[in-house]
Amino acid sequence: MVLTCPVAMGITTRQDGSSELSRRAVLRAGALLALGGATAPLTGCGLLDRDEQPPRPDPLAPLLEESLRLAGGLRAAATVHPDLATRLLPLAESHEAHAAELARLTGVTIASATPAASPSGPLPADRTAALAALRKSERAGRESAIRACADAPAERAALLGSVAAARATHLEALR
Amino acid sequence: MSETFEALAGALTAEYAAIWAYGPIGVRLSDAERKAAVAAEAAHRARRDALVMQLSTAGGTVPPDRAGYALPFPVTDRASALRLAVQVEERTAAFWRAALPVSTGADRDRALAALVEYAVRATRWRRSAGITPLTVPFPGRPA
Repeated sequence: MVLTCPVAMGITTRQDGSSELSRRAVLRAGALLALGGATAPLTGCGLLDRDEQPPRPDPLAPLLEESLRLAGGLRAAATVHPDLATRLLPLAESHEAHAAELARLTGVTIASATPAASPSGPLPADRTAALAALRKSERAGRESAIRACADAPAERAALLGSVAAARATHLEALR
Repeated sequence: MSETFEALAGALTAEYAAIWAYGPIGVRLSDAERKAAVAAEAAHRARRDALVMQLSTAGGTVPPDRAGYALPFPVTDRASALRLAVQVEERTAAFWRAALPVSTGADRDRALAALVEYAVRATRWRRSAGITPLTVPFPGRPA
């Protein structure tokens, strides 16, 4: 029965993906996280603003940044190794879709500005080394998403589970 | 009946069906692929056994296995067997994903481990089948 029926029990966080395309376009330009208000100018505030605490970043902010970083790493590697592009770009798009969902969930905007999502470290010119470096990043990403899912409130658990699973499948796809 | 119990009972029915489906799948595959199918089926059996134990201990009605399950399409050759294997892993993953929001602690960890493992198996089956891309952005999310 299960094999022919849609998964009725999984309708927990059906997300509207309609905004993904435009977000993706924005992300592609190189992205900067603008935490709503956290980095807004605090200068020139009046007396009443003095005691206001800046809003605490959402606990998922690092995971969102990691999604953008992983996407940036894959896109950069695809530029250096065009023969790998068909393998790498779908993975980058997945990370960007995660970033868009995480941004929506945490109420932050992803603004295009400086290339903040560029990967850390130089890109290996060797194809094998490049894939190994990408696998290492995905493995670390999988672990952080697993931790985030374990600690998450109910309404975030399903999305974070999918992010963890996706990162694990990327690791497999990069073999 | 708690939400957790219901979700795990759903996962159990998915595991039953997955185990059943690997029968017709296995006989159509190459030797190396059959080994992978045996390993995949063993994973589904292990989770089925653990779920039956857990749900029995919880005291609710454990959903029974069925004599057979309807396949979404006929499995007549290697290509259709691989396609079904992809689908089996994806659908089972979806049930475990559905258990995430209604579970905590060790239950959450187990559900996540199942989701991750089955998503990876689906990717491996896609590779065997020559399906691209090898991955989906949100494994287990209902389409």
